[in-house]
Amino acid sequence: MSEFASRLLSKFEFPWIELKRLSLPVLIGLLLLALFLNLAVFAPLIAPYDPWEPGKPFLPPVAAHPFGTNDIGQDIFSELVYGTRISLFVGFFAAFVSVVIGTLVGLFSGYLRGAADEALMGATDIVLIIPSLPLMIILAAHTSPSIWNIIVVIGALWWTSTARVVRSRVLQLREMPFVESARGLGAGDVYIVFCHILPNTLQVILAKFILAVAGAMLTEASLSFLGLGDPLQKSWGMMLNYAFSRGGFINGYWWWYLPPGICISLAVLSFVLIGFGLEELDRRELNASKL
Amino acid sequence: MTARTSYIASQALRYSISLFIIVTLIFLIPRMMPGDPFISLLGEEVYYRSPELVAELKAQFGLDRPLPEQYISYLQNLVQGNFGYSFHYSQPVWDVIAYKMKWTVVLLIPSVILGAILGIVMGAAAGWLRGSGMDTGITSLFLFLYSMPHYWLAMLFVLVFAFYLGLFPLSGITGGGLEGLEKLRDVLWHMTLPVSVLTLFGAAYNYFIMRGSVIQVSGEGFVLTARAKGLREWEVLFRHVLRNAMLPLVTVIALDFGFMVSGALLVEIVFSWGGMGTLVYDAVLARDYPLLHGSFLVIAICVLAANFMADVMYAVLDPRIRGGEIE
Repeated sequence: MSEFASRLLSKFEFPWIELKRLSLPVLIGLLLLALFLNLAVFAPLIAPYDPWEPGKPFLPPVAAHPFGTNDIGQDIFSELVYGTRISLFVGFFAAFVSVVIGTLVGLFSGYLRGAADEALMGATDIVLIIPSLPLMIILAAHTSPSIWNIIVVIGALWWTSTARVVRSRVLQLREMPFVESARGLGAGDVYIVFCHILPNTLQVILAKFILAVAGAMLTEASLSFLGLGDPLQKSWGMMLNYAFSRGGFINGYWWWYLPPGICISLAVLSFVLIGFGLEELDRRELNASKL
Repeated sequence: MTARTSYIASQALRYSISLFIIVTLIFLIPRMMPGDPFISLLGEEVYYRSPELVAELKAQFGLDRPLPEQYISYLQNLVQGNFGYSFHYSQPVWDVIAYKMKWTVVLLIPSVILGAILGIVMGAAAGWLRGSGMDTGITSLFLFLYSMPHYWLAMLFVLVFAFYLGLFPLSGITGGGLEGLEKLRDVLWHMTLPVSVLTLFGAAYNYFIMRGSVIQVSGEGFVLTARAKGLREWEVLFRHVLRNAMLPLVTVIALDFGFMVSGALLVEIVFSWGGMGTLVYDAVLARDYPLLHGSFLVIAICVLAANFMADVMYAVLDPRIRGGEIE
């Protein structure tokens, strides 16, 4: 086992990308992401108050409360800073679940081909066509509201595009000489898939993972807005839900619902910029290798 | 059988399987959840009324019988158009949905069409003038739109255009008490903001696909040939590039329909537009599960139908399928 594991690890060269090859949009995305990661990690140092501590309600922005307070007097700026943790956490974990499912489906469907491929791709087509938000609403409405349930629900329905991309990459890879030589040396299917094919699909999987984080964060915000979020974990989506359902929106208290929306948009934008940039890079490398 | 009919038949089979799976999921989900499935099937409101009523309803809906039997009677009910009973509205689910659905369709159709036109025109222009200042500007704008929660942009529009500028009403479908042409004008005035928001999202989605498609086609050999034989730039664009770049968009606009429905659900809530979105929102708040299941089924059928129509259209339009061989 240990030999297998160490061999497996040695095959994984993480696609570290040289900085100078990055385009401007990707750099902007990375900077934004760094900003939000810092907010999440250093939340207790940055936030002036405990986000759950009640106080004077419905304050407009003042010096002591830069974004005012909500309906029970909690400081909106502190909620926002701590909300970064929840929103990023849900985004990363849901994307992780979806990418693991998508990668496994894509790997096996592309490598095994034949009946297994048809069955797996048929399933992918069907999941792709079911309207996902309404189905997620039903699943979330039937389970108790918790971020783990939201993570599983999003992950279970968001894997189709990863599966398709990984499959098409595997179809190309499996015909390459190095795979054939591995097979000639007597390597088993599982070994070839995980030690030779998977490492060569990592870059495209990384791009899909980052785009999945963006999608998962938006979906979490939508589910929370519908009142299906975790009431014990105040994400940005939950803040918008509270601002909408508890009078902030009707009364035009913009300082309550503009900041969380801006944060969601910028965080999603950062992942979209990085993800699109990585896909573009991958496409260029693929074209270069064809020539 | 020609290639085209066999293509359409295989698509029809695929959609039938999808529909069957959706129907089965709606049957299984409430029955797999922990706790008394009765709550999940009839809604929380009924459960806490009285034990006699619960027992009576259980017998009436056949929930005390074994699962396969329940499944068969569930399918029979669906075929007869019986989607269950909403205790929150005290009406059959289908009656509630049929009334609300038309208002969602009223929002969706103009948004899908306008969004497609805007996205195609901008995407084609940006893809053709790739790397220009206009391309960079529009692409950045649409990237930002692409990253926003739909409902939040709707809230922003209400704040600016209704709350501060007072140009449009804050919410609702109509002021009420109007008839005929006056009512139509009032509804149009009320739907301007929600349709604008949805159009922008539809456009953002189509924009990236059209832009990518134009860029890809521009690199093909026949474009070089067209230029080499001395055609003007606009002739190359309209006669050769766009005709080929538009094709994938037919399916995309249909797939887009599902995405637009989800967007419409959320945007409706912000505008208190009395369609499927507010219906689903109320059903979630009241945990009225029969209504939720019925809404999901109806939405799913609409999305599947739109996609199937697009596949048929694609088969008719694409000469590669029409001529006999696929690809």
